[in-house]
Order: sequence, then structure tokens, then C-alpha cells
Amino acid sequence: MKQPNTPASVWSVRIVLGLAGTALIGYGLLGLPTQLGPAQLLGLLTWMAFAILLHDGVIVPLLTLTGAGLTRTGSRLGPVSAAILRGALMTGAAVSLIAGLLLKAQSEARNISALEGNYAEHLLWFWAALAAAAAVAIYAFERAGRPRPPTGARPPGRAGSGKGERRQNTRP
Amino acid sequence: MQGPHPQKLTAALAAKFASPTRSTRLTVVLGRWLALTFTICFLTGLFSHGLQNPPSWMFFPTNPVWIYQLCQGLHVTAGIASIPLMLAKLWSVYPELLVWPPIKSVRHGLERASIALFIASSLLQLTTGLINTYKWYPWPFPFRETHYWLAWVIWGSLLLHIAVKLPAIMANWNGRAVRRAEQQGPERGPASEGTAAAAAVGMPGTGVAPGRWSRRAFLTGVGVSTGAVVLTTAGQSFSWLSPLNVFAPRVMGTGPQSVPVNRTAAEAKVADLATSGEWSLAVTYRGNSTTFDLAGLRALPQHQEELPIACVEGWSQTAHWSGVRIRDLIGAVGAPPDSALRVTSLEPEGPYRLMSMPAEYVQDERTLVALELNGAILDVQHGYPARIIAPGRPGVLQTKWLQTVEVL
Repeated sequence: MKQPNTPASVWSVRIVLGLAGTALIGYGLLGLPTQLGPAQLLGLLTWMAFAILLHDGVIVPLLTLTGAGLTRTGSRLGPVSAAILRGALMTGAAVSLIAGLLLKAQSEARNISALEGNYAEHLLWFWAALAAAAAVAIYAFERAGRPRPPTGARPPGRAGSGKGERRQNTRP
Repeated sequence: MQGPHPQKLTAALAAKFASPTRSTRLTVVLGRWLALTFTICFLTGLFSHGLQNPPSWMFFPTNPVWIYQLCQGLHVTAGIASIPLMLAKLWSVYPELLVWPPIKSVRHGLERASIALFIASSLLQLTTGLINTYKWYPWPFPFRETHYWLAWVIWGSLLLHIAVKLPAIMANWNGRAVRRAEQQGPERGPASEGTAAAAAVGMPGTGVAPGRWSRRAFLTGVGVSTGAVVLTTAGQSFSWLSPLNVFAPRVMGTGPQSVPVNRTAAEAKVADLATSGEWSLAVTYRGNSTTFDLAGLRALPQHQEELPIACVEGWSQTAHWSGVRIRDLIGAVGAPPDSALRVTSLEPEGPYRLMSMPAEYVQDERTLVALELNGAILDVQHGYPARIIAPGRPGVLQTKWLQTVEVL
């Protein structure tokens, strides 16, 4: 029986997908000028270029800087705590992005029964809840990973540096 | 004076952006999630587009009555979920941007061009799609047409991207196999880039450098972020999530008569016409026109239906409507119930002033000329004196402020 992932079958799938994809791209690109005028197409291209520049030139470098700072901060924590810190900040950033656009839209366009929420207050509460949950979790993990005070005679040969022991005990 | 070689510059930059969390396996996992959300958006978008601009073969399901509510709820929610997924996916491949030379061959150049088109279209589509739900249009091109054509470009780009990357996708599809290969040694694992870097600086036993996070932790973070944006917005579409809805532009149960409004009477410029005591609805069949004033409509058999109104922008609201069955109304002028209709609003202008109603909706006894909403006379914002409500149709086709019904 022929294996489904033999090079010939993989190549067949790649060719079919590639041709179908190219055809759909062509359909979309050829369809745009049927409904958009030259000035609108130019506006679209400008917005697309701006989207790339904003993402590649601003957002990712800023995230990288933040990540470098977190690596420094997180290296004083156990691996689970460091991951919780990063995950909480990632979650907060994603929600803030959505809420930030909402707030901007609220200041620009107002419609009956739309955009009526107090999004700034909601965002503050969200961050407060997120920070509290992350702090509790980090505290619990750090406390669980801390070396216990000796209850009796220290076993021979277990001098141990607290930090090293904690990390050994808190695998993700 | 000779400057530094570009390759050294880009290599130095790439080193600045290096992260041991990145790996092909990570990109493949994120790509799978993103391909799913993009496909949901594409298919639900096509269905919605087909209902509004039906080709000759289009089908018009009226069951379940919440089919369009589900369709657009999924469309907008999957679009919102795509935002963190897309940002994470792009982050996972960012160093690819800095490779030197930027174009190694014609094939490589074409591949990079197709990826640039894919990324630019996707970033724009997700951003404008989200902002459209806020009814804010700061861009110099029409939203609906651009959204439709870009959807083809994006889904086509997705297929092409899968075709180009299929060997890497297959090699990193199975997580267990990837982890086994990574344990055997960095040079043998298909996704070993991240683990190799972690091992170089890392902690014995964890495979993760101090202060950094593992691939699994990163993916969990992306999953939690995606869950957070979904849970805090999807309540505009799904009632069981409405208690968590704090970041969506619409809230269920708000607006006049506890139903949100999309196009207001003022925007449609109908307030005076709709509240005029001289209003009547003209029903035309075979060249004969019969008019029904409000009292005449109320004299016909009244029926109550619980139906959702679902907007193309994702929000929806189930409500109690009462009024005259549209089949009874056209039956009163002698027209058969399997007729198609053309319905006109009092709106003097606008893309939805004229609405075509296929026979499937006319035949359905739940399709009403609604006179009341949630037990009270229709508010003018909801289409007073009479509006259409039909099962499974986009909100923009639930014509408000009726003027004429023409049997085709």
C-alpha cells in the first residue's frame, strides 16, 4: 500500500493546494478593481503597507524589549512563576488592544445602543483582577518552591542554595 | 569608508530578536489554530455574502431560526480570536524577516512576496473587520467590498502558504514525535532551534532558560489571551456568554424595547414619514395595488413568534415579535404563498431601501410583518409602524419602516 506521505503524494497535494491558492488570490485581486476606484485602491495599498510597517517596525520591537525586561525580572522567579507573569501580561496586552480600539471608536463615532459601555472602567477592573490572580498564583508557586526550614538535624551533605533547590522543585 | 556588511547587520539584528521559545513546532501549532479561525471566518463570510447577494444557486435555510445568528456570531468571534493568534504566529517567525540576502532566487522572491501579501491583507482584514463592528470607518475605501475581495486573497494565500510549507508542517505536526526528536539531539529535531538555544543557556532538567518560558507555556499564554478576548466579547452574539460581555460594542437587552438598533430613524431620514397618521402599506399583485393602514393590518390574524434579529456585525438579540404572517398578507390580495417579494422601505435612499425576499421566507409561517416587539407597539427605531422579521436572515434584510410589498 502506498504511504500517504510519500514524496509523490505530498507533491501532488502541494501542487493542488498551490494552484488553488494562486487561483483564489488572483480572483480576489482581480475582483478588487471591479468595485474600488483608483484612489480607493491606492488608499487600500497605503493602509496595507502601514499595517506591515506598524507591526514589523513598532509592535514586534516593543514586544521584544518587553520580553528582554521580563527575562531579567523572571530570572529571579521559578519557571512556573515566570511563565505566569508573561502569560498575564500577554493576556492583558491582548485585551487592552481590543479595548483600546473600542475607546478610540467611542470617541470618534457614537451610535444609539452601540459603544455604550464604560470600557475604560472595565479595562481597569480587568487589569486589577488579572494582576491579583497572577500575584496570588506567583506567590503560591514561589512559596511552594521555597526550601523548607529544617525541622531537625540537617542531613549530611545537604547544604543547598535556596534558589537552586527551588528551581529543581518547581518544574513546569 | 566601507560600512558593515548587510548580512552582518541583519545577523546582529536577528540575534537581538532571537528567542529560544521560537521553533518550527510552535509556528505549526499556532498556524493550525489560525488556519481554523481563518477558515471559519471565510466560510461564514461567504454564507452571509450569499444571503445578501444571492447567486442563482443560493439556498436559503430558515431552520434553525438562529442559523444566521450562529453564522455571524462565529464569524466575528473567530475574527476576534484571530487577532492574538495572528500576532503570536507572526512573532514566532519574525527572524525570517531579517534573513540576508532578502531574495535568494526567483522562487524565494515569489514566496516572500506572497507572504507579504498574506500578512498585509490579514492584518488589515482583522483590524478593519473589528473596527467595522464599532461602526467607525476611518479608511478611504469601501468596507464591505474590500472585506469580501480580501477574504479570497487571504484564504487563497493560506492555501498557497500551506503548499509551500507542507514538508515543515508535516515534520512538526505530531508533538510527541517532535519532542522525541528534540530529546535525541538538537541537530536531529525538526523543531530544535528553540530547544537548542534553551539548552545552551538553560536550566538542567527543564529545558527552559531562566526567566523565559517553554513552548508549551507560551502556547498556554496564547490560548489564555485568545480565550480572554473571546469570552469578554462573544456575549454580544451568544446569550450564555452575555454576563461576561465587557468589551463588545453591543450588549444584549439594551436599546429601545430591550433590543439594540443598527440604523436609526434619524440616520434613515424616516422619522416624519413613519410617524405620519397617513401611513399605509401598499401590497401589489399582478398590477393591482391594495393598501392596508395600521388598523387594517391589525384586523388581519395576528401571530407571535420568538425570533432572533442578527446583525452582520455579529450582535444579535432574540425577541418576541407579533404581527401578520407575510403569507397571510399576500394571501389577502390573492397571491400564492410560494411567491417571491420585493419590499420597499420608507427610507428615501440607502443600499437596503429595496429588499428581495425569496419564496423560502414567504412560505415560512414565522415570517411576519411585525407590528409589536416584546409586547409593545414597535418603537420608531425598530421600524414603526411595520417591519419585516424572518427566520435566519441578516438584520439588514429585516426591512424596517415598510412602504410597499410587491409580489413578483
